[in-house]
Amino acid sequence: MQPKEQQVAQASMADVIERLAGELTLAEEPSRFIAALEGEEAEPGNE
Amino acid sequence: MSDESLAGTAADIRARRISPVEAVERCLARIHKWDGRIRAFIRLDAEGALEAARSLEADASAGRWRGPLHGVPLGFKDLCRLRGLPTSCGTRTPDYFAGSGECTAARRLLDAGGISLGKLNMTELAMGAYGDNAHHGDVDNPWLAGHAAGGSSSGSGAGVAAGFFAGAVGSDTGGSIRLPAGCCGVVGLKPTYGRISRAGAMVLSWSMDHLGPLAWTARDAALMLNVMAGSDPADATTSRRAVPDYTAGLDGGIKGVRIGVPENYFFDGVDEEIAAGVRRAARELEGLGARVAQIRLPDPTVMMDVSMLITRAEASTVHARVFRERPQDLQPMVRIRLQMGTGISAYDYLQALRLRAKLTRAFVREVFAEVDVLLTPVIPEPQPALSDLKSATAEVFNTRAGRFSRLTRPFNGLGLPAISVPCGFTAAGLPLGFQAVGRPFDESLLLKLAHTYQEAAGWHRRRSSLD
Repeated sequence: MQPKEQQVAQASMADVIERLAGELTLAEEPSRFIAALEGEEAEPGNE
Repeated sequence: MSDESLAGTAADIRARRISPVEAVERCLARIHKWDGRIRAFIRLDAEGALEAARSLEADASAGRWRGPLHGVPLGFKDLCRLRGLPTSCGTRTPDYFAGSGECTAARRLLDAGGISLGKLNMTELAMGAYGDNAHHGDVDNPWLAGHAAGGSSSGSGAGVAAGFFAGAVGSDTGGSIRLPAGCCGVVGLKPTYGRISRAGAMVLSWSMDHLGPLAWTARDAALMLNVMAGSDPADATTSRRAVPDYTAGLDGGIKGVRIGVPENYFFDGVDEEIAAGVRRAARELEGLGARVAQIRLPDPTVMMDVSMLITRAEASTVHARVFRERPQDLQPMVRIRLQMGTGISAYDYLQALRLRAKLTRAFVREVFAEVDVLLTPVIPEPQPALSDLKSATAEVFNTRAGRFSRLTRPFNGLGLPAISVPCGFTAAGLPLGFQAVGRPFDESLLLKLAHTYQEAAGWHRRRSSLD
């Protein structure tokens, strides 16, 4: 069993991510992280 | 002799003031005298080092120089695979990371003339912020016996501070280069994600792992980065950007460099002595020509959550086999962390990766429009006594360790270059340090800032009182 305190912390983490993910555009994807570092930082549209 | 820094050792060897064999023997004498207490090594390779040194000495006598690190003794975190030596990754399994491909970054250092003294202690599977290891012994802090050396690259930080080698390779998934550097009073650089190949190094989290140098000075770290950085066909995440000479601009000064000191998150709840040390360093940097201002950052707690969730999910996936087949081999706190990751859904993991991209884009655009460098503490509390850590339950220990890396982990998520620089000592005699964070691929500015500060402040000239 996971320790209770850490289960709660992890659930809270997932809640934060779920809430903020609602604001992501449809075109957002993980590879845009590399693009951000490489300076190819255009905001993705909703196409 | 110049001094025992990496740059000084390399210069002495090149000028034939000392030989590679003498450099290795000097290190071995210190290791034999002090590593019983420090426990920086998992596997010391004295014979291999002496054999390499003799070969390099013969080359030097014949006027053949292999590279800028010719004859310089180095140490490698025991998650870097090197031919002829097993790779335990801090586990009780001697060759946990068996395979044939060598660690690209380590190989590049050796091809540049570096000499491997062996494989260095680390927390099990690179999980842990303090440097404790039930299998190989807890790494001790060279500055104050019985205190944490920081982790997970604990042997790398403590070994440099103890003078066992001139430089070391560490890995950093949530702070594991910068924490031991901060705890042990040496320089530790986590470069931009993609700047240094991770091929041949154990994966903890492929999205968050970085390799980097630990050394006495920023110049030493720059010399190592020159060799370690660059694209690698064996690691598709490496950047194809050209590698600059990181030593070229070190003496250029920092006049006009805009330094931001965060007014949110990074000083919240931080020990007063540590916070005062960083703010003092900020004033000193201002005195050296930098423009220092407060800055409000996009909430780092979000990136902290995103980074932690991604790391746990990936770590549990990569190390599923040992967790499933031999859980009794793992320390309780490592087992707990791996178990936590198995409960993360694919949905949450992928949303976290998408959020990471958005948060990074926004952070780079907003923050670096205002400043060139961020300045923060490295650790939020003084290096704890090892006895305190050992008496905690696994749950309490993990919670405390999570807090200990809360100032470094956000920059793994953001992928930004970050350097830990010594900036004094506590009243108890433990090192203080600051963290400087820059734009993507702007390691040159961080190294220049660190070098300028070190030359003025001179903390690197003080050595631990082992002798």
